Amino acid sequence: MNTPQIKISARDVQVFYGDTHAIKDVDVDIEDKTVTAFIGPSGCGKSTFLRCINRMNDTIDVARVEGKITLDDEDIYDKSVDPVQLRAKVGMVFQKPNPFPKSIYDNVAYGPKIHGLARTKAELDDVVERALRRAALWEEAKDRLQAPGTGLSGGQQQRLCIARAVATQPEVLLMDEPCSALDPIATAQVEELIDELKQNYSVIIVTHSMQQAARVSQKTAFFHLGNLVEYGETGQIFTNPLDKRTESYITGRIG
Amino acid sequence: MSEQHIQSVFDRDLERVQALIMKMGGLVEVSILDAVRSLATRDEELAAKVRANDRKIDDLEEEINEEAARIIALRAPTASDLRTVLTVMKISANLERMGDYAKNMAKRTSVLVQMNPIEGSAKSIQRMGQEVEEMLKNALDSYIHRDAGLATDVRQRDAEVDQMYNALFREFLTHMMEDPRNITACMHLHFIAKNVERMGDHVTSICEQVIYLVTGELPEDTRSKEDRTPFEQMEGRE
Repeated sequence: MNTPQIKISARDVQVFYGDTHAIKDVDVDIEDKTVTAFIGPSGCGKSTFLRCINRMNDTIDVARVEGKITLDDEDIYDKSVDPVQLRAKVGMVFQKPNPFPKSIYDNVAYGPKIHGLARTKAELDDVVERALRRAALWEEAKDRLQAPGTGLSGGQQQRLCIARAVATQPEVLLMDEPCSALDPIATAQVEELIDELKQNYSVIIVTHSMQQAARVSQKTAFFHLGNLVEYGETGQIFTNPLDKRTESYITGRIG
Repeated sequence: MSEQHIQSVFDRDLERVQALIMKMGGLVEVSILDAVRSLATRDEELAAKVRANDRKIDDLEEEINEEAARIIALRAPTASDLRTVLTVMKISANLERMGDYAKNMAKRTSVLVQMNPIEGSAKSIQRMGQEVEEMLKNALDSYIHRDAGLATDVRQRDAEVDQMYNALFREFLTHMMEDPRNITACMHLHFIAKNVERMGDHVTSICEQVIYLVTGELPEDTRSKEDRTPFEQMEGRE
């Protein structure tokens, strides 16, 4: 095994929502080509921290982020960084599938178009096909590309959102409970997809399902009351966690 | 972990399977003591009882395995809960083997009571069996109290059992050389002593499981193997 490459590095990160101190002193190194799971009870800060990584917290007026987060050693909160460009590199998939009220094709083509990733129609077709294949949706969608994205099933919509996220060729994919609205079959398909995506991306997934974290991730981070309590290899976290709070949470003793 | 699960039925499942282990351990303790006592007192009836009781021990092992499989399937245990289920399965396998050894000893005892007794040996085996039973009792205590210190202590005591076995080995050899008519009885007695010695190894293995359960890691092997009596002859020839 080669030493893993660090994709994202956070140092001394604090997040405040007004007077609320939501994230406290978080230091973490996220590896490239790895699935990292963020687990923890509701309100523990895992989604808040996830949203720091593509500066989604910028959109909330009362939110304030301190500390340093780097992507490939570059400070993402530097003044020279355009958050829109950053979000093309750091894609995001949300809890509820949220396709645009457009065709399947346009849903996927939108990002590459505004970021100028395709010069001709043929190139764009190519980008759309590759993204849909990536998201394991091509076979189901290729004959109805002009149909509205909202007409797909829940699981297909979520895969469409994943296709949309990977279409801009991001380097990091953030997923905030991507399967919580899906049935077990669609969940399995998305999990299989996550496993394939890790060959090219650094994937971070926030999940409430401990079993999902165990199934898809190689590294797991446990958050509690705004602190990153424990971060380690997923197998170790689930068989022999070092911190009592991690143990209590994963064995179902605290909420 | 003393804290309770949010889902109390999970606690009840884990408690139940551990109660079965304690019950099984209790039966094995009785079998060990009865087996060595039936030998020392030449009590054929007691030996027959030991043989019959092994069935109960085997049934308990099966029940424990089924329960463990059910917990894994329904509760997806993690961390110390997972280690509890894993150790329960291994400990029940150790106890089942110990039960088999006791049964085998009882079978040999039924043969031995038909022969002339060998001076002193049955008493030595009884002391050895009592030591192993005491170790098993302490090992099960260390399990229930999640006491890795006690488990480490018991694990070291297996060396004493090994020493007792080596002493008996030499004794039987002497008896057999003195009078070939002793050979049949001494062979049976030697197997009995060997069975008790193997039981000690299973107690050691239980202790290792307790250490794993408590610390999450198996102990490094630091147990000494000093006395090499049974191998001296062979090594001399090489």
